[in-house]
Amino acid sequence: MGKTARHLRPLAALLGAALALSTTACGGATDASPAADAVDISGSISGQTINYWSMWKDGEPQQKVIATAISDFEKETGAKVSVQWQGRSNTEKLVPALNTNNVPDLVDGTLAKLAPVIGDTGQASPLTSVYSYELDGKTVSSVIPEKFTSNGVFKGEDGQPWMVPYSISSDGIWFDAAKHPELKAKPPATWDEFMEVLDKLKASGAAPIAADGDIAGYNSTWFVTALLRLKGAGSFKALAEDKSGAGWDDPAVLEAAQKVESLVKGGYLNSGYNASKFPAQQQLWANGDAALILNGSWTPTETGSYAAPGFEYSSFQFPAIGDKPASARVDFIGFAVPAKSKNQVPAQRLAAFLLDAKYQNALGTDAKVLPVRQDAPVDPAVASVKAAIDAAPATHLQNDGVTFPGYTEKVFFPRDDELFLGKTTAAEFVAKMKEAQIQYWKDNG
Amino acid sequence: MSLGLKEPRASKASPQNPASRKPASRKAPAQGRQPGSSIDVQRKKLLFPFVGPAFVLYTVLFIVPALGAVWISLHKWAGSGPMKFVGLDNYGRIFRDPLFLSSFGNTLLLLFVVGTAIFVLAFAMTLVLRDMAGKKVVRNVIFFPHLINALVFGVLAGFIFNPGGMVNSLLAPFGVTDPPKWLAQDNIFPLIMVTLVCTTTGYFTTILMAGVDRIPPYYYEDCALAGATAFQRLRYVILPLTWDVFGTCAVLWTISSVKIFEIVWVFGGSSGAGVPPTQSWTAAVYTYVNAFSGQSTPAYGAATASAVLSLALISVLVVLLRRAMRRDAVEF
Repeated sequence: MGKTARHLRPLAALLGAALALSTTACGGATDASPAADAVDISGSISGQTINYWSMWKDGEPQQKVIATAISDFEKETGAKVSVQWQGRSNTEKLVPALNTNNVPDLVDGTLAKLAPVIGDTGQASPLTSVYSYELDGKTVSSVIPEKFTSNGVFKGEDGQPWMVPYSISSDGIWFDAAKHPELKAKPPATWDEFMEVLDKLKASGAAPIAADGDIAGYNSTWFVTALLRLKGAGSFKALAEDKSGAGWDDPAVLEAAQKVESLVKGGYLNSGYNASKFPAQQQLWANGDAALILNGSWTPTETGSYAAPGFEYSSFQFPAIGDKPASARVDFIGFAVPAKSKNQVPAQRLAAFLLDAKYQNALGTDAKVLPVRQDAPVDPAVASVKAAIDAAPATHLQNDGVTFPGYTEKVFFPRDDELFLGKTTAAEFVAKMKEAQIQYWKDNG
Repeated sequence: MSLGLKEPRASKASPQNPASRKPASRKAPAQGRQPGSSIDVQRKKLLFPFVGPAFVLYTVLFIVPALGAVWISLHKWAGSGPMKFVGLDNYGRIFRDPLFLSSFGNTLLLLFVVGTAIFVLAFAMTLVLRDMAGKKVVRNVIFFPHLINALVFGVLAGFIFNPGGMVNSLLAPFGVTDPPKWLAQDNIFPLIMVTLVCTTTGYFTTILMAGVDRIPPYYYEDCALAGATAFQRLRYVILPLTWDVFGTCAVLWTISSVKIFEIVWVFGGSSGAGVPPTQSWTAAVYTYVNAFSGQSTPAYGAATASAVLSLALISVLVVLLRRAMRRDAVEF
């Protein structure tokens, strides 16, 4: 006993010292973020250095375009850009960095990933000056289509935009136009026409729709888009926000769920879609074993290496249900500048620089993705998606922009999976969602 | 694993060592606060330089972050930006969350069901392998799966169990036209359990074998002379003499099973393209999804609350296990 006590005392002293040491080390963490105001970014930035954490990895097509832009930027302005090609985990690394004073000056990512981390938490600088910056006589805000910005997705709580997009992604129902020229000539515009196409495909013996049922985000696109077709962009977010859960009693919600149910019950989905592992089903689709797949605008690049010879990528939009103007899904990839960055001016200038026509064209034709500028040309494989976005009167985000903590993964995805994988009916799905959502808001309200 | 085996040996050697601490410590209480023997004084002097640096590092790198996690678990926080103090709300919330309870249930399934299967198999293999020719080769072969990254098993599961995968192709010639849906959401967790048994059994067999190998052969000769059956030999010789190794293995499994994460993630999460189906979540996956799913605003408070509960679970289980497994060490 005595021996233990004698050894405990010095240990306690050590513990105390260590605690004191570590708490002083973390002392800066609770500092309030500096007051953020828009800065004038027109002056010379020669000799200044910025630190950029990129969402791209060395060798990716987008990385090559951005690397070219950076080297031009350095030559033109005399500023220096130190880049870390971190890949998609850059936003996860950003979270702890934001609690220190050692932040990157520029980060990029999808709106869906940047918003929860830096946008909604008020940790990003307002980029108003970027939007008003002029490139070849045109302001940045004039080259970004107005329908992308009009619903305010880039605005923080202060009403200022904190993100500047340089690329977008979307979705569509993809098919091989070489094999199905009739779909390219006359894509189904309404749900009834869509069902006719499915019936014809089924009668011909082909599997109508392939789906990687293990990806909840793909499964949910069916229900969410059906609902948006019925009730317009923003209606799913409004539904999820409803603390009383009464929104789920709306007959239109049930109808959207029934559309999904009819695909499942009608046997239009490729057999085995509910027990396979990504990317098995999209491989099967690219091999020509199924006719259609609802997937993102990245489908041509993602499946290009294993597509059947002569595969000609084309797509049509999710068909209209009812008479609401059909919105196109548009998700954004772009830049944000942490409010704590000490190199605001050069960082914001680089964000503007990527909207120059040269790099926007390169994103469209070399990287084969969708640039944010409407006047930039794109690769033929994604031309059908671009045409649909250009024609759409409004846009919506993936899952209609719902990012309430845990709602998507714990409330919506599990129940939507059950519906899409054929384990529950539309009516059961609606009832379960209503109950779970009421509980969710009770716990998180 | 060699560590777990060396420790008992070292402590067993100590009674023969004239300079061992036992006689000294017996004197200590009698002397009260007066300085003890010169060895005792020397040891006290060396405590700071030897234990100090490790202790400070350990405190800064492990204990302080753990206390920090407890602190965060009392807040509503998105990882950066403002923190809102909510007291014990996060704990109440996760206890009411059926998903946390089912995730926690899965962790317990791994701990007890998979654990039991592993130890029964490992012990059986140890007994079989003891007298087998070429046991060194076999030992390496069964240890091998433990060296492979869990990611490989996740990818492999796709090749083997996809609707057009290996298993179904092999079943087709036997007239199985409607094979089970191997990778359906409800089947993923049982598959993970089987995979874990296959990959971990070899690891514990290796440790147990090392323990069985150090039993001197004359005990077996004694058994043979006394006419003991194989079961009696197990009951009276092998089990008592490997009990400490067994206990160490049980603690190792308890600690590692509560942290199992990556195999669940790659089995169901499509190798990182999404979140695994909730049916296969463990407490560790629940923690991760709350903080880093990338699909919604991070909830660090709820995530750390579930991590703190996991830590509490491990601590309680390890203490209980040590108590249940406590026996007087058999000297031999």
